[in-house]
Amino acid sequence: MSADSTAQSTPPPVVQVRDMDFCYGASKALFDINLKVEYHRVTALIGPSGCGKSTLLRCINRMNDRVPSARVTKGEVLVKGKNIHDADVDLTQLRKQVGMVFQKSNPFPKSIYENVAYGLRIHGEKNKSVLDEAVERSLTHAALWEELKDRLQANALALSGGQQQRLCIARAIATVPDVLLMDEPCSALDPISTLKIEELMHQLAHEFTVVIVTHNMQQAVRVSDYTAFLHLGKLIEFAPTEELFTNPREKLTEAYLRGTFS
Amino acid sequence: MNPAPTNDNPFAGDNSGIQQRETAARWALRVGSYIVVLITLAIMLHIFVKGAPVVFQAKWPFVNTQFLTELPATLHVIEDQQGNHIETDVNGADAVKKKLGEDFRAEKTISYSGGGILGPIVGTALLVVVSVGVALFLGVACAIYLSEYAKHGKFLEMVRLAILNLAGVPSVVFGLFGLGAFVLTAPTFVDVPAERSVFSIPLGFTTLSFEGWDTCVLSGGFTLAFVILPVIITASEQCLQAVPQGFRETSMALGATRWQTIRYSVLPFATPGILTSSILGIARAAGETAPIMFTAALAFKDKLPWQKDLPPLPADASIFAHWEQSVSRFLGIFTESVQALPYHIYTLAAKIPQNEYAERAQYGSVFVFLVLVASLAASSVLLRKRLRAKYRW
Repeated sequence: MSADSTAQSTPPPVVQVRDMDFCYGASKALFDINLKVEYHRVTALIGPSGCGKSTLLRCINRMNDRVPSARVTKGEVLVKGKNIHDADVDLTQLRKQVGMVFQKSNPFPKSIYENVAYGLRIHGEKNKSVLDEAVERSLTHAALWEELKDRLQANALALSGGQQQRLCIARAIATVPDVLLMDEPCSALDPISTLKIEELMHQLAHEFTVVIVTHNMQQAVRVSDYTAFLHLGKLIEFAPTEELFTNPREKLTEAYLRGTFS
Repeated sequence: MNPAPTNDNPFAGDNSGIQQRETAARWALRVGSYIVVLITLAIMLHIFVKGAPVVFQAKWPFVNTQFLTELPATLHVIEDQQGNHIETDVNGADAVKKKLGEDFRAEKTISYSGGGILGPIVGTALLVVVSVGVALFLGVACAIYLSEYAKHGKFLEMVRLAILNLAGVPSVVFGLFGLGAFVLTAPTFVDVPAERSVFSIPLGFTTLSFEGWDTCVLSGGFTLAFVILPVIITASEQCLQAVPQGFRETSMALGATRWQTIRYSVLPFATPGILTSSILGIARAAGETAPIMFTAALAFKDKLPWQKDLPPLPADASIFAHWEQSVSRFLGIFTESVQALPYHIYTLAAKIPQNEYAERAQYGSVFVFLVLVASLAASSVLLRKRLRAKYRW
């Protein structure tokens, strides 16, 4: 069958969510989610506020574990083919390989260098030259190296908002994760900083798989290869971005894209 | 159509009940605040006027060094026929009397009021060091657990209630607890257990005996530690909570364990606040009298804790023997009972007949005590200011 041959020619998805239900205590937040994230693609999660897109994102690196009583009640999440809720999954290793950038840029009040080196240091890297090299590589990826190479010891809080967010990206990619989760990374930034980060995302997709939550539909169009539209905890439609935006299959998607929920 | 402008004030107050009550409330609150300020100033001024002349003097070096560097002693006051008073100590009394000869009229002795207050200062310092050391360790550990590890729920509520209650326990109760727990039953290593030992566990080379530490710096310091523990726990927890949650999330998202997160992304930013609040704990520990009455403090002691008679070492003693003796001398400091400033003040004020000499010693001690505590508080404020400027987020 042709379906089999395509399955063999393309690598398996790096993140696969299967039939997942997710609850905060007694209230269900996500219903029967199915999602496949391909390697080296940018996947956007869009939807109105409270639709569960951030919750879904945080399921991928199990950040929801921090919330008491929050849990997956059905289905499974596979990253690199492994069910991340298996007992033999070490959270620190999972999160090393699934990095995350938050909505609010939150650099530590330490030097720029120490911010980027943080992830490697906590995983036991002590070799100065390895750290130096990783800091340079990560800052270069985040398009910050040229701006900051002469003041790596300066406090990260002295940077502008956009620089701080790019520093957070550099910090997240320093451990060379396979997947980079971004939770509305531009929502607190001005248009120019936003533009810079969007440009960055295209670059990042060459090396990493990016999943981005955004409330900005234009941003999803600009940066992503695939888009998932969520509404009230359900995944309504998941398709290549161009297809979803030009020719949505679902009525609800069309209504949301037009800005009219009927 | 616009109404014609008039010279009447359209916004004139009507001096109604509402406005009168506003004025009354403002003045009542203002007067209350002024009374508080006045009383505080009166206390400070009173102690300064009475105490400063004892501690300071007109001649070089302007500070009464005797008062700050000598141990308390009995004061001998000898009166001659002309009504002059000569102050001296027990060793000088006979010489003065001999010199006066026929001129001698009377001799008065006033306990504890001569010499200085070095003993109480040293004792209080030692008690503070032990208590703050113990309380910081236990308190910060407890605060970290409560703030970072414990699950929200019934247990946490109970622990918080317990801490709140601990803060409300009268300090004399802590004193009795310390007497029972540390003076009489705390475990210690001895060769032969005392008869009063609650029970003892032979360990071969030595015996772990629950016979208490006796009245000493250690007993008093541990007791004081429990007095200031609630302050330190509450303040530390607040400092930990003040560190943005984002730091913890980011650190965890980078794959840090909980302890790594605390160690590298929470504690460094909470430490300034924790240290500042612990200085306030120091002031509290230094000021308590009741907890040390039964556990550490003596009304009078003619030796400093390290002035102990140890057997002299033979001339050919090895370096190791010298070293061993120094260590045991150092550790011995903490197993000595001491004088302490608050207890010394209590003794001077309540345990000896009152006269001008006793009063002088009282106010001198109170003044020194107040200056010490005030400088601690001031340094805590300064430290907080400097660290705040350094760690801002």
